[in-house]
Amino acid sequence: MLLKLAWRNIWRNKGRTVITMMAVMIAVVLSILMMSAKEGVYAKMIESMILNMTGHAQIHQVDYVDEQMLDNSLSLSEDLVNDLNESGLIKGWAPRIQTGALVFKDSTSNTISKNAIVMGIDPDKEAEFISLKEHVTVGEFITNEDNQVMLGEGLAERLKVKVGDSIILVSGGYHGSQAYGLYNVKGLVKYGSPELSNGVVFMPIKEAQWMYSLDSMCTNINIILKDESVLEESVSELNNILSGKILVRDWKELNPELINMIETDRVEGYIFMFILYMVITFGLFGTMLMMLSERTREFGVLISIGMKRFKLASVVWMEMIIISILGVLVGIAVAFPICYYFHSNPIQFGDEQAEMMADYGMEAVLQFSIDPSIFLTQAMIIFSISSVLALFPFRKLLKLNPQEAMRV
Amino acid sequence: MMRTITICLMLLSVNITAQDLSAKEIIEKADNIMKGVTSTKSEMTITTVRPKWTRTMALKTWSKGTNNTMMLITSPAKEKGSAFLMKGKEVWNWVPSIERTIKLPPSMMMQSWMGTDFTNDDLVQQSSTVKDYTHKVLKDSTIDGRTCYKIELTPKEDAPVVWGKIYSWIDKKEFFQLRVEFYDEDDYLISVMKSSNIKVLGGKKIPTKMEMIPMEKKNQKTVMEYISIEFDIPIEDSFFSLQNMKRLK
Repeated sequence: MLLKLAWRNIWRNKGRTVITMMAVMIAVVLSILMMSAKEGVYAKMIESMILNMTGHAQIHQVDYVDEQMLDNSLSLSEDLVNDLNESGLIKGWAPRIQTGALVFKDSTSNTISKNAIVMGIDPDKEAEFISLKEHVTVGEFITNEDNQVMLGEGLAERLKVKVGDSIILVSGGYHGSQAYGLYNVKGLVKYGSPELSNGVVFMPIKEAQWMYSLDSMCTNINIILKDESVLEESVSELNNILSGKILVRDWKELNPELINMIETDRVEGYIFMFILYMVITFGLFGTMLMMLSERTREFGVLISIGMKRFKLASVVWMEMIIISILGVLVGIAVAFPICYYFHSNPIQFGDEQAEMMADYGMEAVLQFSIDPSIFLTQAMIIFSISSVLALFPFRKLLKLNPQEAMRV
Repeated sequence: MMRTITICLMLLSVNITAQDLSAKEIIEKADNIMKGVTSTKSEMTITTVRPKWTRTMALKTWSKGTNNTMMLITSPAKEKGSAFLMKGKEVWNWVPSIERTIKLPPSMMMQSWMGTDFTNDDLVQQSSTVKDYTHKVLKDSTIDGRTCYKIELTPKEDAPVVWGKIYSWIDKKEFFQLRVEFYDEDDYLISVMKSSNIKVLGGKKIPTKMEMIPMEKKNQKTVMEYISIEFDIPIEDSFFSLQNMKRLK
């Protein structure tokens, strides 16, 4: 009954209602778009990081945490392999050797060189991770039997190396040994962030183990979990199973800088949203005051003919809530298709912007997020603001003097 | 590292009755000793000591004048046959396992040489303890029972030197440099070089053991020991060539 009254009251003054709704709607659309874009960027960064670099979790030798050097490599023992294969938590795992080398183009003078990340990978096991095969742009993907390597496109360009040419790798190996390698380039990959593509060499893990004198060791084992939503639980259980001199850490622990960066950026977004909502709050408050003064006489009459103050106040409170909810719903209705569109059709940046983003180590793609929590958060915020605001007319009506009110 | 070898050779035994030498004269006297030596040939071991492992390499070296040096690694097996040629400021590395010669690019110069506490740049350090520094004699002190001058070396402004300050302990009687401390520009001790095991080798009395101890890292050092050394042997200039690097034995 009261709800019906409130609903009818709203539409008595359509203009005011629509304007208030619009204000709420615009705020909701703006913050949703902003959050969706930001969350989309974060999600992309995290995804690319998980697939390209760390996996959901990584296994190291304990000392590797403090000193990421080959001397702190991990032995890929039979027990460990069995444990990994038998664990019900793991969808896939792959050992890697992640280190560096100076890469030369093999020529008579050997004068062109560049520092690069060397990734010793097990091509078969990597299937669960990045579909590296799809990232091969020229030439072919390496296999476990090869003694050839793949280069990042950017690196090949800088070294002026083509598929079929040879490169020389120079680095330090395990326990002070020297690591030298002469390899044929089998393929070029365009992979992950441009920063990585400009300085990465992929080689079969067996070759890397030989070159760096690592026997059957690796620097880390990347893990993809079956259920990502129980990340922390899975990781602590794996730590229990694999306890000993090795350590499993999830991607959040592995990338504190990334998490930090995202958090800082998020806070910036919140500040912007806060300002936006401050404006909306005053807008709503203004409309409310106007409504109150316009309807003072009406309220006076209603109270004097016996309408309970509390019921009347509730009606007015509901009106405010309904207007905000409508605004939020319309806002979501407008924002969702936009987010959805840019989610399924990510924005590709032009060359210039792409280069700029490359400098920050990001892919030049903006994919919006359609995480439901974004939409829910907006609804919750607007709902809370208007509920609190609506307490003002509520209080005022409880104190209203009908005689004075009717004289207005 | 050649610098280290050179310093060591520079300080070969001579008997100078030094009484009131100035700091510069002390360093100069040590430096002048090398002027008599035209060439050397030596065998040595270099041991890299780390908290969890140690690794010993054996090598042969040849040098002529200050600008020609050749080194050949003779063990361990994986690096056997690997050779280094230093001419002036340039370093070439012959790698038999891939049959290639590499000229070390500038980006590699500050990296560790063969996993030791020396950098590639140390192989070709050309600063002169006489010309590039100003010298000051500090209070005498004793090292291994020998009375030493303690000399403070401050690099001149335009000197090609990475150190902020060097302290050198030079034996008063025989002018061996027994201890050197290297400080950075913030007066922070970076590394210490100790010389010991003074004995007659190749007809001269010299310190035959040198330890390079980086201060930032615990339980870490590199030890060089001469097994044999010959002085003033005839070596052709053509010996120090890229072609010859591959034929060394």
